[in-house]
Amino acid sequence: MSDLKNASKYYWHYLKKYWFGFLMTSILIGISTACIVIAPTYLGRAVSELTTYLQQWGDTATRSQASLGSFHKTLLIYLGLYLGDASTLLISSWILARITAYSTGTMRVGLFRKMQRMKVQYFDQHSDGDILARYTSDLDNIFNALNQALIEIFLAVAQFIGLLIVMFNQNTTMAWVTMASTPVALIIAGFVMKKAGVAVNNQQDDIGTLNGYINEQVTAQKVIITNGLQKDSIKGFKKHNEKVRKSAMSGQIWSGVLNPLMQGMSLLNTAIVIFFGSWFALNGTLSTGAALALVVVFVNYAQQYYQPIMSLTSLYGMIQLAITGARRVDEVRRQPDEVTPANGKDLPGIKQELQISDVHFSYLPGKEILHGVSISVHKGEMVALVGPTGSGKTTVMNLLNRFYDVDSGSITIDGVDIRDFSLKDLRKNVGIVLQDPQLFSGTIADNIRFGDPDANMDQVVDAAKQANIHEFIASLPDGYQTKVSDEQSIFSAGQKQLMSIARTILTNPQLLILDEATSNVDTVTEANIQAAMDRVIQGRTSFVIAHRLKTILNADKIVVLKSGQIIEQGNHEALLKENGFYAGLYRDQMVTE
Amino acid sequence: MKVLMPYIKRYRKDVYIALISVIALVFATLWQPRLLQVIMNAILKGDQATIIKEGIILIILAIVGIISGVINTIYSAHVALGVATDLRADLYKQVQKFAYADVEKFSASNLVVRMTNDINQVQQIVMAAFQQVSRIPLLFIGAFALAMITMPQQWWVLIGMMIIVLGVSWYSYKKMSDYFAQTQEDIEDVNTVARENLMGIRVVKSFVQEPQEIAKFSKASDRLTDVTAKIGYNFAILMPAFFLTANIAVVIAVYIVGQNITVHPTYLAAITSFISYLMQILFAVINGGFLMIAASRANISLGRIGEVLETKPSMVYVEGSKDPVEGEIEFDHVTFTYPGDDAPTLKDISFKVNVGEMIGIVGATGSGKTTLAQLIARLYDPDSGVIKVGGKDVKQLSESTLRHTIAYVLQRSTLFSGTISNNLQQVKPDATLPQMQWAANIAQAAEFIERLPQTYDAPVEERSSNFSGGQKQRLSITRGIIAQPKILILDDATSALDAESEKLVQEALDRDLKKTTTVVIAEKISSILRADRILVMDNGRIVGNGNHKQLVASNPVYQKIYTTQKAREGAM
Repeated sequence: MSDLKNASKYYWHYLKKYWFGFLMTSILIGISTACIVIAPTYLGRAVSELTTYLQQWGDTATRSQASLGSFHKTLLIYLGLYLGDASTLLISSWILARITAYSTGTMRVGLFRKMQRMKVQYFDQHSDGDILARYTSDLDNIFNALNQALIEIFLAVAQFIGLLIVMFNQNTTMAWVTMASTPVALIIAGFVMKKAGVAVNNQQDDIGTLNGYINEQVTAQKVIITNGLQKDSIKGFKKHNEKVRKSAMSGQIWSGVLNPLMQGMSLLNTAIVIFFGSWFALNGTLSTGAALALVVVFVNYAQQYYQPIMSLTSLYGMIQLAITGARRVDEVRRQPDEVTPANGKDLPGIKQELQISDVHFSYLPGKEILHGVSISVHKGEMVALVGPTGSGKTTVMNLLNRFYDVDSGSITIDGVDIRDFSLKDLRKNVGIVLQDPQLFSGTIADNIRFGDPDANMDQVVDAAKQANIHEFIASLPDGYQTKVSDEQSIFSAGQKQLMSIARTILTNPQLLILDEATSNVDTVTEANIQAAMDRVIQGRTSFVIAHRLKTILNADKIVVLKSGQIIEQGNHEALLKENGFYAGLYRDQMVTE
Repeated sequence: MKVLMPYIKRYRKDVYIALISVIALVFATLWQPRLLQVIMNAILKGDQATIIKEGIILIILAIVGIISGVINTIYSAHVALGVATDLRADLYKQVQKFAYADVEKFSASNLVVRMTNDINQVQQIVMAAFQQVSRIPLLFIGAFALAMITMPQQWWVLIGMMIIVLGVSWYSYKKMSDYFAQTQEDIEDVNTVARENLMGIRVVKSFVQEPQEIAKFSKASDRLTDVTAKIGYNFAILMPAFFLTANIAVVIAVYIVGQNITVHPTYLAAITSFISYLMQILFAVINGGFLMIAASRANISLGRIGEVLETKPSMVYVEGSKDPVEGEIEFDHVTFTYPGDDAPTLKDISFKVNVGEMIGIVGATGSGKTTLAQLIARLYDPDSGVIKVGGKDVKQLSESTLRHTIAYVLQRSTLFSGTISNNLQQVKPDATLPQMQWAANIAQAAEFIERLPQTYDAPVEERSSNFSGGQKQRLSITRGIIAQPKILILDDATSALDAESEKLVQEALDRDLKKTTTVVIAEKISSILRADRILVMDNGRIVGNGNHKQLVASNPVYQKIYTTQKAREGAM
C-alpha cells in the first residue's frame, strides 16, 4: 500500500499541471460515450421508420404518402453521432498522447537533474545498472501505463457510468438482473489477481536468479573453458531453468486465466439475462412486443457490461509495473541533496595552507574507516599518500572536495572549514585525476574542455600538449574533432588518463588530487604519464595516491596510512631513519629490484 | 518457425488440448446468439417449456465457455513454458560447447540477451498464439460467413470496410516505423548520457559541470519526447478511424436495405445480426494486426536464437584418455591471427619449456604475451605451426586431459557466486579442507580466508564484490593450484598484489609445486626476476630468451623495459 501512496504522490507531482488537459479529456470522453450510448436508439428508430414505410407502401391507399425522408434524416443523425464520437475521441487521445509524452519527458529530465544534485554516497551504494534501470525499464513502464492505461481507464469508467444510466432508464428490474453477477465476478477477479500477484512475483524472482546465473557464467566463459567446467555449469543452469519452468507456469496461468474467466462470466451473465428476461416477458405486465424489445436491448447491455471490467483487469499488470516504477523513481527523488552552505564563502585560492585535523569518518554508521587523521600541507607542497589497499587513501581524497563530509574533525583551507565555502567554488578549485577516468560522448576537444566549455581551441591544444597527448590526437584523421564515447574507446587505459590530465590542466585548479594509475600501460605511455604528472603537479598544492617510488621520492611529505590511521609521516630520509613500515616497504622493493 | 516447430511438437498433447478448448470457446461464443433466436421465437409463441430447456442449454454453454477458457490458458502455458524452457536449455548447452572464439564472436552480453530477452519474447508469442491467435481466424471466418449468409448482396460493404481498415493500418504503420527507428536512436542517446554521468559522477561534480550536463541530457530527452508525442498522435487516429469506418459501413448497409426494402422486406429483421457480425470482423482484423506486430518481433528473436543453435563450435576435441600429461611445452613455428584481424598477433614463435621450469614472459602491451599463453591452453588454434604439451600436439589431446594438465589464472579474476569452497571444488570435486588450506597458503589467501567468520564456507557474492582486487586474485590462484596442475599459467595474475605478497606467492610456488611448470606473464620485471628463463616479446615475436642477467647484458628490448621501470622507481 505504501507503494501505491508513494506512486500517487509521484504522479500527482508530475501530472497536476496538466489538470486542464485532463478536464478536457474527461469532458470529451463524456461526450463521446454519450454519442455511443445514444446512437443505437437512432438505429432502432431507423428500423421502425422503415417498418412504417413498408406498411404504408404495402397499402395501396397510403402508398402515395410513403416517404423515406425521415428514415434518411435518422440515418444522418446516426452518422453525425458517430462523427461526434470519432472526433471527440480523436481529440482526447491527442491530448492524452501529448500529456503522456511531455510528462514522461519531464520525469526523465527531473530524474537526471536530481541525480546531479545527489550525494556521491548514493552512487557508491547502488550499482550503476540498478540506477540506469530507472531510466530505462522504470520510466518505460510508467510511459506505457500512461500511454495505454490512461485512456482505457477514462473510457472504461465513462462507458460503465453511461451504461448504468441507460440501463436504469430502460428498466430497473432488468438493470438489477444484469448487475446481479457483479459481486461474484469481483470476488473471482480479486482472488485471481491476488494469486497472480504472488505467482508473478515468484516468477520474476526466479527469472532474476536464472538471468543472474546465465550472466555470471557466460561472462566468465573463459574461466569455464580453461577449467573445463562446462558440465558443472550446465548442471547449475538446469536447476535454475527447471525452477523457472515451474514458477513461471503458475505465474502465466494465474495471470492468463483472468481474461477467459471474465469472458466466461460475460457469457454466463448474458445467459442469465436471456433466461430471466424471457421469464419476465411471459409473466410480466408488458406486451409481448415490448418485452421482446427489452430482452434484445438488455442482451446487448449484458454483453457490454463486462467490457469495462475486462479492460481494467487486463491493465492490472501494466498498472502494477507503473506503480513499482514510480516507487523506484520516487525513491531517488526523495534522496537528500548535497549540502551547500546558505551563504557560502568565496574561495579565491589557497593562500597558506590546507589542514586536515583529527578527521574521523565512516561510510556506514559504526564502521569507522578513518580514525583521527591529521595532515597539514603548505601551499605548493605535494603530499604522497602511501599504504596498503583499504588503508583509507581513497577516502581521504573523497573528503577533500566534499564527495563525503567528515563525521568529526575538520578540513580547513587557510583556517576556514571547507563546509563553509560554496560547494561550487570549492570544487572549481579542486581538480581530480582519477585512475579510470570517464570520457563523455562528443569530440576529443569537448572532452578536454569538459571543465570549461568556453575554452578556445588554443587552450585545448595547449592542455593536450602539456599532457603529452597532443601528438596522438593530431595523428588521428579527424584530430581534435574525433568523436569518442566511453564504450568504443580509441584510447588505451593510459591515454585515457592523459586525457584526464589534460582536462584538469585546462581548468587550472589550485588543489590537485591525483590517483596514480596502476593499470598496465606500455612503457612509452608510462613515460608520457610520468612527465605529464610532473607538469600538472608543478606549482600546485597536491595530494597523490602514489604507487610509484619515483613519485613518492619527489613528494614534500609522505603520509603512510594503515587501517585508517597515519602511522608515519615525513620526508623520505626522515622515514628511512625511523626504520618503520615505510622503511620496510622501501627495502622490500629494493630487494626485488 | 523452423526453429520453433520441433519444440512445439514435443508438447503435442498439450497443443491439441489447447486448440480443442479454444474451438469449444469460440463455439460457445458464436452459438449463443443462435440460441437467443430460438428463445425469442418461443417468447412470441408463449412456449414456456422451450424457454426453460433452451435456457438451461444456454447456461451450460456459458459454463462450457468458462471451463474451456481456463483449460486453454493452462495448456497454452504448458506449451509456452515448455518450449521456452527447452529452447533456453538447448541454447545454454550449445554455448557451453562453444570455443572461446565463438563466444567472442557473439560477445558474452549478446549471448545473455539471447538467452533471456529473446526467449522471453518467444514464450510470450507462443502463449498468445494458443490463447488468442487461434481464436481470431475462427471468429473471423465464422463471422464473415454468417454475415454473407445474412446479406449476400452487401459483400462489397464488408470488403470495402476491410480494405479501408487495412489501408489505414498499413499507412500509419509505415509512417510510424520511421518514428520507431528514430525513437530507438533517441533512447540510446538518452541512455548514453545517463550512463556516462552515472559512471563519471565524480568527474562531473568535481568540474562543476552539472548545469551543462543537464542541458545536454535535456536536449536528448526532448528529442525523444517529441518523437514519442508524434507516435502518440498517429496512434490516436487509429481507433476513432476504425470505428468511424465501421459505422459508415453500417449506415451504407442500412441505407441500401432501406432503398430496396420493397424488394427485400425480410432484410429488415437481419440488420441487427449483420451489424454484430460486422463488428466481430472489425475486432478480428484489429487484433490480428496487433498480433502480427508482436509476431514479427518474436520472429526476430527466433532468428537470433536460431543463429546460435546453428553455429557449429569452431573447435573440436578428440575423445580419449582423460589423464593429465607431463608439463612440457613446445611451440614450433607458430603463427596466429585473431579472427577478423588482418595482421597476425603471433609470428613464427618457437620455444620449448621443460618440466618444472618457471618461465617469465615480458613485453609491451600488445606484444602478444596473453595470446601466447591462451594458445597453450588451446583457447584458440594457430594458423600454422604446432603447439605441443607433454610432447603431444594439443589438438590430439582430449579436452579433459588438457584441462587437467593446465591451470590458467586470468588477470581479471572471476569467482562464481556461492562459497569459497564451492569455487575450489568446482576444479577439484573431492578437495578436502587440508588441501584447500594447502593451496590457500601458497596463494597467500589463507591469511584473510581464515579471518572470515565462515572461513572456507564464506559466501562469494555476485561479481565477487565482497572481496578486494588483491583478494580475488589470491583466491583465483588458490583455485588454479588446488588440483596440482602440471602446468600453471599466471596471466598477470598478481597485478593487484603488493610486492611483498607477490614475492611470498612465488616463493611458495617454488617450494611446494616443484614439478609444476609455471608460466608467468608480467608487466613488471620485478615479478619475473626469479624465473628460470624469460621470453621477451616484441610485436608478436620472441626477441629474447634467457635469464635476467643474460638479458640485461645483451637484449636491447629487455634493457629498454628494464631501464624505464628502473627509472620510474627512482634511485633503485
